[in-house]
Amino acid sequence: MLDVKGVDSYYANLHVLEQISFNVEKGEKVALFGPNGHGKSTLLKTICGLHPAKRGSVIFEGQDITSSPAHKIVEMGIAYIPEERYLFTDMTVYENLLMGAYTPKAKGKFQENLSYVYEIFPRLKERKNQITSTLSGGESRMVAVARGLMSEPTLLLVDEPSIGLSPSMRKVVFQSLESVNREKNITILIVEQEIRDALKLSERIYMLKKGQIIFERTAEEADVKEIEKAYF
Amino acid sequence: MESFVNAIVSGLISGSLYAVMALGLTIIYGISRVFNFGHGVVALIGAYIAWAILQNLVFSTATYIVGIVVSMVFLSGFGYLLYLLTIGPLLRKPGWEISTVLFMLGLGIMLENIILQIFGPRIKSLPIFVSDHFRLFGVRVNWHDLVILVLVILIVIALNYFFKATKTGQAMRAVSQSVEGANVVGININWIFGLTFGLAFAVTGFSGVMLGTKYYLDPHIGWDWMVIGFVIVCFGGLGSVSGAILAALILGIIEALSIVYFGSVWVWPIWFVIFVIILLVRPQGILGGRS
Repeated sequence: MLDVKGVDSYYANLHVLEQISFNVEKGEKVALFGPNGHGKSTLLKTICGLHPAKRGSVIFEGQDITSSPAHKIVEMGIAYIPEERYLFTDMTVYENLLMGAYTPKAKGKFQENLSYVYEIFPRLKERKNQITSTLSGGESRMVAVARGLMSEPTLLLVDEPSIGLSPSMRKVVFQSLESVNREKNITILIVEQEIRDALKLSERIYMLKKGQIIFERTAEEADVKEIEKAYF
Repeated sequence: MESFVNAIVSGLISGSLYAVMALGLTIIYGISRVFNFGHGVVALIGAYIAWAILQNLVFSTATYIVGIVVSMVFLSGFGYLLYLLTIGPLLRKPGWEISTVLFMLGLGIMLENIILQIFGPRIKSLPIFVSDHFRLFGVRVNWHDLVILVLVILIVIALNYFFKATKTGQAMRAVSQSVEGANVVGININWIFGLTFGLAFAVTGFSGVMLGTKYYLDPHIGWDWMVIGFVIVCFGGLGSVSGAILAALILGIIEALSIVYFGSVWVWPIWFVIFVIILLVRPQGILGGRS
């Protein structure tokens, strides 16, 4: 479904990603681990068109999307849920979800997707008319995930969804990812620091260090100690 | 007392004119973060286009409407193309905060001189809509001012509807709140910025026509309008539409009261003292949320 081949990426002169190659199959849940500042977020941003790749290619469902603009990539079915959330803070929860369904394809399925996200996040239904800037951190994270789901994606790129959340809120977010994968067959590529939670969710993992993928494991092979060791 | 009430009424009318003039400036800043230092000259172009059309057609309400519509359509096209060909490419390069300001300033000077070449240095004025007046509770009100007030209110209602209820308007609000967020939901930022310039330039052209009926036109007056617009949007909060309207009404009333009690030479000094105090006490402006 997603094929990343030999991608190099820079911030000014800083070589952030070096010859990254990996793939994600349809319906899979894949986790990407790695220390902070080693290129995980840049990799997700490169896939969804927010950051340019200098070399290499990103193939999604057989189409080369390496130099497609971000808004076209959303239309093709990739939703990026940024760590920074980037919510529309002066809008209500409902308006944020409405904007999530901006593309024509998503617009047609607005009601269906809206009741689905209200089902997995009942809290958002209670708060639908609340201005987003007044929500708690956990609720804002729910809006970010829900807004991503409103775009009718087939591939969800999730960037550190657990950051700053309480353990109970973290559980809610991970369960929601589990259920969208199971019920809607949405493929998930997640970047996470909470190794245990992410391992439980995913079927396969990649370890990214200093801009390179240093190893790949299936969830059964993966060893928490080995991953933690790779952080240092 | 009567002069006080008269001052409030005329202050509200010039305030509403200033409000519509500042709208274009605050819309562009709020959505694209570009500060249009050529704004006053854009308004002036709108006024001159309407003037040229009225010169060449038999004067009637219909030709006036034609003049306003042509001027708005021309400027919206101009704004859109200007964004596409110049501002857009500048925004994609580092240092755009400064480069766009300098570019718009230079463009303003160039357009000012083009106006001078085409229309000459002599003062012109646009005819008023209706020449009569009436009395309301003893206060003299010009029909012309009332028409301006109604038109300004209609424009504000229309813009409010556009931003709240249309897909493009909602997308513009989304972009103004988070460019990155707008990007990840699939909004084409470049397209929205282009439309924003088109929309704002059209509103600005409309405001220029209104100002031209109330004051006078010469090729340099755009910079005075620019200064008024600048004070209003900083006072009201950069990028805040309701802040700009409120600030314009307050400044209009202050202007009228200053004229009555101190004389018209004191208007700008008083404005700027208030402006500096606001900047010191509340740098984000009266209704500005974000810096």
